[in-house]
Amino acid sequence: MNLKAFSLFCLLALVLSGGASAQEKSLKEKRAERLLDLEKRFFEASREGKTIKGVLVEGNSLFNGTTAPHQRPWGQPYTADELKAARQSAERNSKVFLLSKDGTLYYPTVKKGVAVSQSLGAYRFERVLTEEQKKTNTFTWATLVPMVGREIEVLGEVYDGYAGVKGLYIEAVGFEGEYLVGRND
Amino acid sequence: MALNKPITLKSIFYTAVSLVWIFGLSAIGHIVMVLIEKYNPAIKYDFAWGCAIVGLVVLYLTRFFSSDGWQSFIGCLAGLSVWFAWEYSLMYGASRLGVTYTWNGSYPEYRMMTWTYMMFVMVFTYLLFQESVRCNFIFFLRRTFRLMRGPVATGKVYNYGPRTFFEYIMVTWCFYILLMLAYDEELLGVYSWFTYLLFFASFSVFFYLTYKLLGYDRFGANLRYAIPTVTILWNDVEILAKWGMLKEPWVHINWPIMSVIIGGFAISTWLIVRDLRKRKLGMIETHDIT
Repeated sequence: MNLKAFSLFCLLALVLSGGASAQEKSLKEKRAERLLDLEKRFFEASREGKTIKGVLVEGNSLFNGTTAPHQRPWGQPYTADELKAARQSAERNSKVFLLSKDGTLYYPTVKKGVAVSQSLGAYRFERVLTEEQKKTNTFTWATLVPMVGREIEVLGEVYDGYAGVKGLYIEAVGFEGEYLVGRND
Repeated sequence: MALNKPITLKSIFYTAVSLVWIFGLSAIGHIVMVLIEKYNPAIKYDFAWGCAIVGLVVLYLTRFFSSDGWQSFIGCLAGLSVWFAWEYSLMYGASRLGVTYTWNGSYPEYRMMTWTYMMFVMVFTYLLFQESVRCNFIFFLRRTFRLMRGPVATGKVYNYGPRTFFEYIMVTWCFYILLMLAYDEELLGVYSWFTYLLFFASFSVFFYLTYKLLGYDRFGANLRYAIPTVTILWNDVEILAKWGMLKEPWVHINWPIMSVIIGGFAISTWLIVRDLRKRKLGMIETHDIT
């Protein structure tokens, strides 16, 4: 490869990366606007009591009665052993539910009208951060499995669901501490 | 053998540049994926196809280069490119199969990769008995376990491009599997003895390999040897991040640190290209040792 060819390659890379960088800037701006809007709506809804607060619980052991997170003190849905098993099951794609303080069970689902969807255990939810949390350079998203057993606050849409279990489309989540257990907690 | 050669300022220079280049390549690879996921996830599978095609075309192009330096340099880039495609294909598979994140935060695509370990063992077994493979670690295993019936192949190697491509993929694959097995809470765990052992072993082996790397004073061999050296160091970076002791600048998009890494990568690329050009023009004396 001679110098001319290499220079040409660098020039091409520069032009392409310039284009990509401009596109990235615009995508970045769009995302920033979306996050700002989400943040505004989340905190507004939170003040008005329109967000849903609850603990994430693992479905299999709840429905077969092996665990009873709804009968335990609020904020401590599991014993240490139960929590370990619940997390293990959630990792194996047992469904995760949101159990609110008033005892309502919510099934996290996708937005109404979406016919083909994926497991929500593999889905990244936007995380709304407080001003304090923003300073810590923490994760700006979260997924369900690592948060099993923890209390979260959700901005989203509630659907009627079935047989008392409500459907919940999660638009954004907020919670205290780090997304991953053991990281600066 | 490389170790019989004296360590010179020249070999220190080549080692430093190779390490910076391979490290930069991995870091840039990571941040590209993070940026795509964050700002434009819709393009990720098109990007993966692009990477696979570009990687394979670039790999083919190595046949037009006679120098082992250029072959290794380009083979490495082709390896990274195809590795991108492999990771995205696992991401797609994980999404289709509904693979979740783990509670300690491991991504679905890497969970999928864990269970390719038996495939890795099969490929590695082939390499172990394939006479033409000249990897030092495989030589060590052959000697230790007396695996070969006859002498190993000798003579000049003409296709370092595909060999480097394959080396890059195999080494990266091997350490991903090892890390993911270590992180699996049902098998070992992030805070298990194995992860601590892996951390300290990787740290020690990195220094040993760097010492060996100092014996190579040209970019072909040096770049190839830098691949496992940096990847082993990368184990420590990954483990520290998993322990929460390090916020990876490529995951948390820390531009000041990333700028330094990208700058180092650009300078090392320039130094490698300049050296390879000079060598081709005969301005640097080359001994055919590899």
